[in-house]
Amino acid sequence: MSRECHISSLVVHSRPERVQAISERIGLIEGAAVHGGAEAGKLIVTLETDTESQVVERINAIQLLDGVLAATLVFHHFEPVQERE
Amino acid sequence: MDLTRRTLLKTQAAAAAAAAANVTLPASAQNILTGEDLQLQWSKAPCRFCGTGCGVMVAVKDGKVVATHGDMQAEVNRGLNCVKGYFLSKIMYGTDRLTQPLLRMKNGQFAKDGEFQPVSWDRAFDEMARQFKRVLKEKGPEAVGMFGSGQWTIWEGYAASKLMRAGFRTNNLDPNARHCMASAAVTFIRTFGMDEPMGCYDDFEHADAFVLWGSNMAEMHPILWTRVTDRRLSHPHVRIATLSTYEHRTTDLSDMALIFKPNSDLAIMNYIANYIIQNGAVNREFVEKHCNFRLANTDIGYGLRPDNVLEQRAQHANDAQVSHPASFEDYAKLMSQYTVEKASELSGVPKERLEALAKLYADPKVKVMSLWTMGFNQHVRGVWANHMVYNLHLLTGKISEPGNSPFSLTGQPSACGTAREVGTFSHRLPADMQVNNPEHRKHAEELWKLPHGLLPEKVGYHAVQQDRMLKDGKLNAYWIMCNNNLQTAPNTNNETYPGYRNPANFVVVSDAYPTVTAMAADLILPAAMWVEKEGAYGNAERRTHFWHQLVNAPGEARSDLWQLVEFSKRFTTDEVWPAAILDAHPEYKGKSLFDVLFANGEVNKFPVSELDPAYENREAKAFGFYVQKGLFEEYAAFGRGHGHDLAPFDTYHQVRGLRWPVVNGQETRWRYREGYDPYVEKGSGVQFYGNPDKKANIMGAPYEPPAESPDAEYDLWLVTGRVLEHWHSGSMTLRVPELYKAFSGAVLFMHPDDAAKRNLRRGQEVRIVSRRGEIRSRVETRGRNKMPPGLVFVPFFDASQLINKVTLDATDPISKQTDFKKCAVKVVSATADAGGVQ
Amino acid sequence: MRRSVFLCLVSIVPCLAAGAILAQDAPRLRGPEPFTKEIPAPPMQRQVTDDVRVRRNYPDQPPVIPHSIEGYAMDLNANKCMSCHARKFTDQSQAPMISVTHYQDREGNTLGGLAPRRYVCVSCHVPQTNAKPLVDNVFTDMDALAEPERQPERGRH
Repeated sequence: MSRECHISSLVVHSRPERVQAISERIGLIEGAAVHGGAEAGKLIVTLETDTESQVVERINAIQLLDGVLAATLVFHHFEPVQERE
Repeated sequence: MDLTRRTLLKTQAAAAAAAAANVTLPASAQNILTGEDLQLQWSKAPCRFCGTGCGVMVAVKDGKVVATHGDMQAEVNRGLNCVKGYFLSKIMYGTDRLTQPLLRMKNGQFAKDGEFQPVSWDRAFDEMARQFKRVLKEKGPEAVGMFGSGQWTIWEGYAASKLMRAGFRTNNLDPNARHCMASAAVTFIRTFGMDEPMGCYDDFEHADAFVLWGSNMAEMHPILWTRVTDRRLSHPHVRIATLSTYEHRTTDLSDMALIFKPNSDLAIMNYIANYIIQNGAVNREFVEKHCNFRLANTDIGYGLRPDNVLEQRAQHANDAQVSHPASFEDYAKLMSQYTVEKASELSGVPKERLEALAKLYADPKVKVMSLWTMGFNQHVRGVWANHMVYNLHLLTGKISEPGNSPFSLTGQPSACGTAREVGTFSHRLPADMQVNNPEHRKHAEELWKLPHGLLPEKVGYHAVQQDRMLKDGKLNAYWIMCNNNLQTAPNTNNETYPGYRNPANFVVVSDAYPTVTAMAADLILPAAMWVEKEGAYGNAERRTHFWHQLVNAPGEARSDLWQLVEFSKRFTTDEVWPAAILDAHPEYKGKSLFDVLFANGEVNKFPVSELDPAYENREAKAFGFYVQKGLFEEYAAFGRGHGHDLAPFDTYHQVRGLRWPVVNGQETRWRYREGYDPYVEKGSGVQFYGNPDKKANIMGAPYEPPAESPDAEYDLWLVTGRVLEHWHSGSMTLRVPELYKAFSGAVLFMHPDDAAKRNLRRGQEVRIVSRRGEIRSRVETRGRNKMPPGLVFVPFFDASQLINKVTLDATDPISKQTDFKKCAVKVVSATADAGGVQ
Repeated sequence: MRRSVFLCLVSIVPCLAAGAILAQDAPRLRGPEPFTKEIPAPPMQRQVTDDVRVRRNYPDQPPVIPHSIEGYAMDLNANKCMSCHARKFTDQSQAPMISVTHYQDREGNTLGGLAPRRYVCVSCHVPQTNAKPLVDNVFTDMDALAEPERQPERGRH
């Protein structure tokens, strides 16, 4: 089965006092990157994964972090990865 | 996928999320991945298509729209779009965009029989002004007219209304919305004294039953349909009942499908009213406190030309709109004729299904949302049909509260916001006021700072009448903006096209693309579209929604707003206003129409310094003031304090639209009910305050037959309409390759038995013939629509199959809206007549 | 037999001058010239059924359907699309799984399956015919604007 690359982004609405810690925890999740939004309490996060189910897993993991109010998926795109990679 | 592409996608992904969350990303965070050249600028806008009013996010890069997606923050659609909405990015980029004015010329001069040649805006407006002045001088204001649009922005419709009514002193201004929802608009006023729904889209999440009257929402309002299906599939007790003249994607997803014979919806609704009365389901307290009963004049004709035998035979063709006060008993007596047997016989719907439907309305525990669009409105008894559904909700008190909602859907993005609220109908002024009411005219003159007595009182020509008057040579200077009427009007070969080519007439068409209508004009003006200008639309739930100009229009294309305001500079008051008015008010002498209509101290009140520096605004730059804001604020003065309150202009650029009346910063979701609507007095519960006695009218009217029914020769019903993938006449969607390839041309949907009876097979070319004319099409016996025997459907988006050459120009006699949903045709093989072999 | 002749004709069309194609297809956009002239109905177009995925114009575009959906049930009891595109069936079908965005409800909660609001697939995903576009569309792919040069990926895996 050919491999795929999934790029997605979410808005992670967080309790203001926990934003910093949440941001750090998300940074430790494989393929996740925080792009900003800490001031507004709405972290902008991208995910880069190999499968769709990993997207769901990561969102669930983020949703379970202490202080996360909601993690909302905004964008999702995937395409096949060329074999020579 | 290479690294650059990954980072590009991640940047886009982050930008999309940031836009959805209304968060500004730090420049470093945005740039760290990819560099500045990968950034997209995202802005909000409403969708360009139907009256649902979905929010979209639009990405711009290097002056071009490169992507769109559903706006997560927009309450209407929460991130979803239909397939048309998802392809908005491509509608502006067909290679045949009009970029220069084109004038029919011979030997360097305008000639009605000349060929289109590019000219400058100056040359175009010179000729146009010359023609308008000639007609005004020779025949007066009644020979000048304009056909506008429910796709105009709010300020475009408002500017057009001022130019026509106050400038040229004619009410011959009508929008294509006449063909679309005049019946709904007229009935709102007749019933509640005020236009537009009491409820809103939030009703979708509260109703227990949805009853769709002739509406194929799955195709025509797909995003609202997602809210219906969401409610149905998430809450098993919810029921969907769909009434239609054929089966389609909406009936596929309905619990009950009631396929009725054209026009018999009237009998079904009266039967339900009778059921409610007979079974003691009338909410007596509500009816006594909040309703009046009236009986309508009957035998009212079909809005055809007065010399038509159907009009001459009709008893009340000339006073169709009149109704008389009545008692509950009078009304109940009229309804009592509509037994289930009679309704079943007239409609062809089995009795059990009619009873099941009636029970939904009668059961006080079931919250019912009734939905309708063109099935009711494009109906020779469209006003009655609208009345009859309100009757059901008023009898049971199921109105103006969450989930209990008679809801009129609209077809165009600003049918409500522009055509209705601004008052671009031939009988209306802003905020529901009427041209034939002297108080209303006086009020408008005051707000517009114009001399008393200037505004004309005579109701102008409505859409179908404009075509007839053009043909008859009584309407001679005509401007068509933002619509494709030669494709979408009824009986076009006989009643529309002859007027456009009548040598006595000068016809101007403003459009973005060379449409059927543009090709039949004398002068074509290239128009800017959608996010090529700053705009505002009003959707079906009273939501006013703004957008900024995001890109420039190609070539010399200019917005309708610029065209209207710029054209006004070419006329002086002395040329177009009566001397008596100018003598009485000499301060208006020698002024241009631009001076008195737009540089009047109100419209030009806001300097360009108030523009958002992040966005271009070509009109403001051209005129030297923030013209959109000035027009909006002047217009808003009509409604503030009168139940039509709009928020301040700048607010709308921040929010995803607000539902009027907006009072103290709060929008209104349910009108006429205490606790939701600030205009309802404390302790009163419900007040239909549009009427002086604060009561709504229950209007009794009978079933009457259609203007034309199948007979031995023309043996089939013809229904016309739209498809999901194409919007109206297809001038935008046919130019998006993916949408064109999704539905690549009109077909004749027909029952397989009807095809077999005529020796036709799928794909075969046929002639569709009526008493008016004929076209050729191809037979489709499969696909999304399942026709009952005896009825065929043809969509109207395809200019190679102009089905409106076949349709009948009958209208509702009260609303003057055309009935595109029923006439009689025959279908024969295209080759059989010639006797040849295919 | 009939079919091969038809395909031949289709393959010739792109070789004709652009002007000829425009003249033939313009009636769909501009109507007959003059308006009153009777014109033949263009032939019905053949469905694309090659199952080849079509690249999107931009990431948020719903992918088009590269196969026929004639006769697919989409009612209160069944959704034929999901019999291949639901997560649990993609092993057998090798069809793309529905996007994870389709698991979220109106409030943004992630559900265990297809969100009811996304139930009607064909509101957004449409099949295609082989029809040739009526006019060119000069929509600009953001890659053409934003991506300086495609480079082979380095360093990963």
